[in-house]
Amino acid sequence: MPKRNSVIVLSSDEEQETPKTRSYSSTRTKPKPKASSSGSRGRKKARVSSSGPRLSKLHEINLFDDDFNEVFTRSKVFAGTQQNIAEELWVDKYKPHSLEELSVHKKKVEEVKTWFEERLKPSKGVYRNNVLVVSGQAGVGKSAAIHVIASHLGAMVCGWNTPTPVIWQEHLYNSGTATKYTSKLDEFVSFVERIRKYGLIPTSFTGESKPSVIFLIDDLPMMHSKAALGRLKDCLHLLVHTTQIPTAILVTDYGNTDSADYNARSVEELKISLERSGACKVTFNPITVNSIKKFFCVNPDQVHSLSLPTRTPHALKEKSNKPVELDDGSPLYFGRDETVSLFHALGKFLHNKRETGVAAEYDQNGFLMQEIFSRLPLKMDVPEKILSQSHVQPGPVADFLHENVLDFLNDEAVEDAWILSSYLGDSDILLAKLRGMLSSHNEAESILQSAAASIAVRGVLFGNSQPISSRWHAIRRPKLWQVQKESSYHKNEMFRQRIPACNQLSSYHMSVMATEYMPMFKLLGNRVGSAYNELDQESAQNLDMEDFDTDKMSLDGEAMEISDDDIEDW
Amino acid sequence: MLWVDKYRPKTLDHVMVHNDIAQNLKKLVTEHDCPHLLFYGPSGAGKKTLIMALLRQMFGPGAEKVKVENRAWKVDAGSRSIDLELTTLSSANHIEMTPSDAGFQDRYIVQEIIKEMAKNRPIDTKGKKGFKVLVLNDVDKLSREAQHSLRRTMEKYSAYCRLILCCNSSSRVTEAIRSRCLNVRINAPSQEQIVEVLQFIGKKEGLQLPPNFAARIAEKSNRNLRRAILSFETCRVQQYPFTDKQTISPMDWEEYISEIASDIMKEQSPKRLFQVRGKLYELLINCIPPEIILKRLLYELLRKLDAELKHEICHWAAYYEHRMRLGQKAIFHIEAFVAKFMSVYKSFLIATFG
Repeated sequence: MPKRNSVIVLSSDEEQETPKTRSYSSTRTKPKPKASSSGSRGRKKARVSSSGPRLSKLHEINLFDDDFNEVFTRSKVFAGTQQNIAEELWVDKYKPHSLEELSVHKKKVEEVKTWFEERLKPSKGVYRNNVLVVSGQAGVGKSAAIHVIASHLGAMVCGWNTPTPVIWQEHLYNSGTATKYTSKLDEFVSFVERIRKYGLIPTSFTGESKPSVIFLIDDLPMMHSKAALGRLKDCLHLLVHTTQIPTAILVTDYGNTDSADYNARSVEELKISLERSGACKVTFNPITVNSIKKFFCVNPDQVHSLSLPTRTPHALKEKSNKPVELDDGSPLYFGRDETVSLFHALGKFLHNKRETGVAAEYDQNGFLMQEIFSRLPLKMDVPEKILSQSHVQPGPVADFLHENVLDFLNDEAVEDAWILSSYLGDSDILLAKLRGMLSSHNEAESILQSAAASIAVRGVLFGNSQPISSRWHAIRRPKLWQVQKESSYHKNEMFRQRIPACNQLSSYHMSVMATEYMPMFKLLGNRVGSAYNELDQESAQNLDMEDFDTDKMSLDGEAMEISDDDIEDW
Repeated sequence: MLWVDKYRPKTLDHVMVHNDIAQNLKKLVTEHDCPHLLFYGPSGAGKKTLIMALLRQMFGPGAEKVKVENRAWKVDAGSRSIDLELTTLSSANHIEMTPSDAGFQDRYIVQEIIKEMAKNRPIDTKGKKGFKVLVLNDVDKLSREAQHSLRRTMEKYSAYCRLILCCNSSSRVTEAIRSRCLNVRINAPSQEQIVEVLQFIGKKEGLQLPPNFAARIAEKSNRNLRRAILSFETCRVQQYPFTDKQTISPMDWEEYISEIASDIMKEQSPKRLFQVRGKLYELLINCIPPEIILKRLLYELLRKLDAELKHEICHWAAYYEHRMRLGQKAIFHIEAFVAKFMSVYKSFLIATFG
């Protein structure tokens, strides 16, 4: 980005008479001082280099760039300061200003209000817990409620302004200047520490009478790991115990449906730990259609400027209904698309359901295929689409298909089995190509991967030319993984073995060890006693025993373990 | 100590099997003009033995004082650093290692170790700068990149170190490396030579070894001297006064593979293929290299196969062996071969017997 910015600044400089560009450049440079500094450097360089004829060309490019940047800056500013946009978004314009306008349930609002009232009364120190956890789904009006209540009570809301996170690349860029990398979590922790110890800094209130203050923590930092979560928990726990200022912590729920999501789970965990340490909790229910309707009904005069004056609030609601897809009383869904589970997808591929009947067969106009290559049309989406919906890595897909596909073959169809396994081999080769590459070839990597997955899936679909009528099959977890693990274990075992066993000059290679020495050791067993020294013998025996035991045990165990539940946690 | 190690010739003069090569190597060393060497030949032919004897010839008995080390390297590769671990066997004058154990990061190993060796050159008693010897095993298993970097380092540091490369097949070593080395082919010992060695060991151990029995061991060993000596020792443990008819127990994994082969011959169906897969997994768990599994399986199948199919089956075996090397999951390819075999064999059966 900084590069592009520099070009734009150059244009505004060269063209004094276009105020439009100028204003944009200024708005852009304001929020990002760093960009401006790099921009100025770029300007200098460009001045030196640009000559007559090139200038016009540059100018053209810049005009084009301006268009691009117009969009860019706008969105940027919207995300940031919201200063330069003449018309406010309706979301901001029609923000609730009084308690009645809130779409949150009255009772809840009342509850929160009384809680704050009690704590803002001068008789302090009675309440041990000064923290309120407000949870609810995104967009129910948690922060709006807090703001409105605060203004109702005449209190000031002080909050933690989420700092712009330092992106890793940015840090790398800065790393020369010896600034230390601080994550959002670090900053948050230090902030809470400050609040706990010193309260809010009094200089910020210039008035003679100290206004009551509500402290608001919106947007808890993200936790990626157990350690970070623990740290945040500790920090909040301390806050709950020691803070003197009424504090509201807003926690966004992500619906209970997908508890698999790590973030959602950790948020849950946080909430529980906060409650345990004594914070009050209020949950805002999801917004219902009625409350949306109510909102539009309450503010009919505010909506009157719509271009379609005949539209009733009800119709409006209908309209607002559509894009967010909300059913009566059901929560709004955000940010998740519908996914097919891996096993669903695998089932589709393995069962290989196809249209029956001759009519469907010769659809493809004019494209003649030999009979052995033609297949009935699939009774499913395009395989690649299913793959992408199931969000799996191609490697595991191939493994799963490989493990299970033979169960789905006709008993006579060895030929099919060969075609299948050949295609699986192809996809394996494609995936193996990746191995040598470094991560710099990201694009190529993803194309190769999806090609490999596609080949595996389509190979399975194509190869299974006479799919047997569907019956129930459990999908097994690839045994290959188990095998790989065990063989690497044995390898290490052998590795340790080979050091005492051939303490002679040479070291033997693994294959020699595996194919010649180990079987011999087994045959020699314990009768070799005198033949070579005790250490060798001991370890050889150990290995022998271990070898057999682990083999038997692990294989049996695996056989029993195979169940659908087990598959889930791979 | 196993007989294999006990009766390994320690010096070039004592070498029994490849005496001519040993004498040539000796001449090279005495003339102080040792080039890089590339030893290649089948397993159990005596490559390692010759290399060890050669090292002893170069550096004296000191070369036998080796220590096993598990060494870790931190390699800087552009933006990231890679941690590598490898076991090395080293004396004051040489280092032996198998860089292909490091998988696809083998090239870093090759570069790093050679650079490191170049940094600390040993100085001999006369103050003359000597050189170290780096023994690399399984060069044919090195990746192409690693071989290229090996070539470069070889040229750059040839003043500081000598390379002794060791591999089974020189065809997988790039031309560039082969042309920079003195190639030494160590062929598999003939059965007579193996018998000779066995008789020698028998005499040293004070055993009565019937010549027929020795010949049988030699035949069973597939011209692999190491194997012959190992099975000789097992036979000795199992039953001493040797008889001509004494059973020579084969390797368990080989028996297992022949079992698989007969499974395949008996029935050709996806279900059977699945069972075969289970057995192949068993072999892989025990670290039998997939190439060897495939090779042995082909051998077993060919023994039972009709002559007119042999050619086709060999072709497919080669095809899948190649693909196995390209790929990562050997089982996919071995299984594909088995499936192909089943399909070919089944249609053959149907065609002949209806």
